[in-house]
Amino acid sequence: MRPILDIADLGIAIAGRRVVRDLSFSIAPGETMALIGESGSGKSMTAAAIMGLLPPGARIAERSRLRFDGLPLRPEDDAAMRPLRGRAMSMVFQDPMSCLNPFMTVAGQIDEALQRLGTGNRAFSSEVDTGSREENPSKQRDGEFSRFGETRKYSSGQRRARILELLALVELPDPAAIARRYPHELSGGQQQRVMLAMALAAEPRLLIADEPTSALDATVQAEILRLLKNLQRRLGNALLFITHDLAAAAELAHRIVVMQAGRAVEYGPAAIVLADPREDYTRKLVSTRRMLAAPPQTPPVARASEPVLRIEELVHDYPARRILGRPFRSLHGVSLAIAPGETLGIVGESGSGKSTLARLAIGLARPGGGEITLFGTSIARMARLDRALRRRCQIIFQNPYGALNPRLSVEAAMREPLELLGLSNRDDRRRIEAALVDVGLGGDHLARYPHQLSGGQRQRVCIARALLSEPELLICDEIVSALDATVQMQVIAMLKALQAKRGFAMMFVGHDIEIVRWVSDRIAVMHRGRIVEQGPATAIVTAPQDPYTQTLMAAMPGSIGSATAAGRGEWRTPFKEHVG
Amino acid sequence: MTRILAILASLLRGLLQAAFIVMLTFFLCRVMPGDVVDVLGLEGGLSAEQQAEMRHSLGLDQPLPLQLVNWVGHALAGDFGRSIRFDRPVGEMLGTALPVTAKLAALSFCFGVALALLLAVAATARPSRWLDAAIDVVNTWSIAVPTFCAGVAAILVFSIWLGWLPVIGGLLVPVLVIGLDNAGQIVKSLREELREAVMLPHVRTARAKGLSPWRIAFAHVLPAAMPVVLALSGLVLGGLVAGSLTMEVLFGLPGLGSLTLNAIHGRDYPIILAAVTLIALALVAINTVVDMLHRLIDPRLS
Repeated sequence: MRPILDIADLGIAIAGRRVVRDLSFSIAPGETMALIGESGSGKSMTAAAIMGLLPPGARIAERSRLRFDGLPLRPEDDAAMRPLRGRAMSMVFQDPMSCLNPFMTVAGQIDEALQRLGTGNRAFSSEVDTGSREENPSKQRDGEFSRFGETRKYSSGQRRARILELLALVELPDPAAIARRYPHELSGGQQQRVMLAMALAAEPRLLIADEPTSALDATVQAEILRLLKNLQRRLGNALLFITHDLAAAAELAHRIVVMQAGRAVEYGPAAIVLADPREDYTRKLVSTRRMLAAPPQTPPVARASEPVLRIEELVHDYPARRILGRPFRSLHGVSLAIAPGETLGIVGESGSGKSTLARLAIGLARPGGGEITLFGTSIARMARLDRALRRRCQIIFQNPYGALNPRLSVEAAMREPLELLGLSNRDDRRRIEAALVDVGLGGDHLARYPHQLSGGQRQRVCIARALLSEPELLICDEIVSALDATVQMQVIAMLKALQAKRGFAMMFVGHDIEIVRWVSDRIAVMHRGRIVEQGPATAIVTAPQDPYTQTLMAAMPGSIGSATAAGRGEWRTPFKEHVG
Repeated sequence: MTRILAILASLLRGLLQAAFIVMLTFFLCRVMPGDVVDVLGLEGGLSAEQQAEMRHSLGLDQPLPLQLVNWVGHALAGDFGRSIRFDRPVGEMLGTALPVTAKLAALSFCFGVALALLLAVAATARPSRWLDAAIDVVNTWSIAVPTFCAGVAAILVFSIWLGWLPVIGGLLVPVLVIGLDNAGQIVKSLREELREAVMLPHVRTARAKGLSPWRIAFAHVLPAAMPVVLALSGLVLGGLVAGSLTMEVLFGLPGLGSLTLNAIHGRDYPIILAAVTLIALALVAINTVVDMLHRLIDPRLS
């Protein structure tokens, strides 16, 4: 069968830097191809090139050959690509919130996609287009592709019916109500479904999904992936699925291309590539997944002694945004305790109140009610922590780009807490160097500035800085969420090793259950400002009691080894089968 | 409900601002050396007793705060007093001057903003060196050429060289001059704003849908830049009062600008105050409308 998309020797350069080199692959009609890679591997650039949506300044190499259903594609010729987009090929993107037009209703945005369906030539006259004379050359080129989407030309009544049909297709409840809404009135999952409905409006032969679930919560991710799979079965379109998530790729794809630094390092059927990776890089990716699936067994911490942090019936409100509005209650009576040397994981989806809890625990915000006891001192009514307390507890944030001052060198940034906490003395430099060595960096990083470091290195600097004061409690707020999978693994493994050496307690906040489980002794699950379940990490993951925890665990991807071994097994693989 | 509350709040803010402007004007008028009686005295040679008597009859010998209170009381009842120099009701004088200025300001505002929008949107939909060059020319023109110079040049070209002015008549040339100036003030920022809005993810989605560049520019890029468009329009509106004043004097139009300028020269307080009040209220009204538009355009704000 002729491939729907055939790419040979694709090269893309941005400002002289080659981001994609010699990439070749093809997709058969109705097939799912996964493009796997970490940030900067060139996978999104490849998708943008196929759609002709490359950013300004990006150039496609001369010898690149792209063919769509046998006909050559010219991605750099916008006028030639336009008739194809939204008809023969369409695309959904990563962050549905910002990818939908906030000024238009759902119906309006889908309607736009429907309006231009019809014959390639006539579609232009129906649009706001005063530059029709310039359009002529592209109309001739259109001819080649005019067999796509020529069949329908909707009246407004038909379009209305089709909008509702599409919204129902992506399994949105009450399509008529959704159609009237604006994007900000929808949840993240609903937004992504609307994006899908829009992309499927023309029944494209190729759908490109660029990290379609990365910006969504775990339970929603699983639903969207299942929907993508079902829709493809029903509509028979080819799917190019771009992801950094091996488990998702294993679930969805027939074949896989693994990309690293712009090159395809491995290429083949999904089951074979993932079960028996040949290349070093793929092996690293796969072993990272396997490592996550098998957390280290740590002996239970003795909990008899006085906890470093005790929180009782904590309540917190965000003030109302409008006069007469009601304040938003982010925490409804949360209670927990962390023993010395223990790691408590806090798991929850976005908006569950977990970051608010982390900030309250260290006195960065003030509670509306309840009690917080830090090292035996009640801090709930304190305006600010004194030096002694601040020295003993430290916090690390999600975004290492924002947490380091771009104008301070690593050494200056690390000197700051020493001076602020009154710990500064003559061998500062030696101590800073030692702290950097502890996190796998070294003295040669002292003079560098944040922009000269990678994301993982920046987060290591943040960790080293937090550990300088030898705290007894470390609060980690989503500290690896912004990092690539392999880097995530390195960072948490290093953190665990440091904890074993120094014995500090940790509150580890995260949304990725596997990572939190890997790090934590005990886990507290948060949902809508409440802790719904709390207990030993293994028990929470393998035998969740609360219904919400159960859905959360069900949405967790199975380990790829077994998923591929069982052919292409069920998405909702129960976790306990993979423990031990 | 909340929408109405928000609009009422912004209206109230505007009215407070207007009251402050009027008060400031009142006191600033009196800080200027020499009052209306001095000016009349210089022209008509009044004796010191006559001047004192005149001040008394006009109420100018009362304490300033009391004068302000009296004026506000009358103004709230719709009575802006009589012009001291012309001895005609101020309301009547403003009534004849206002339409001239309003027409001039509205026409040049619309022309200016429309021109700027058209250039900026066109440059977004179909990027070209020529359009960017045109934008630069308009922008440089408004920075480099003061409106009074442009006005004089326009008189020279249109009425003296081409002899068109009697045919065209009245407002057209001043509208072109002010409008071009307004367009130049905002077109460059507008172009840059649209250039950034093109990078927004939802614009990429629109491109992925295969929409035409013009549809993308109007339906997806422009709404995203609307807050800036509105803010820039507000900027232009503020400058319009000053701009129309110059043009009215230059082209001999009997508008609010000429009237106020003459009143300031003659220290004709009632006219100055009434004109300033009118302009301030107009600006408040326009600001409220702009605010409402902003809310209307962005559904997230309601």
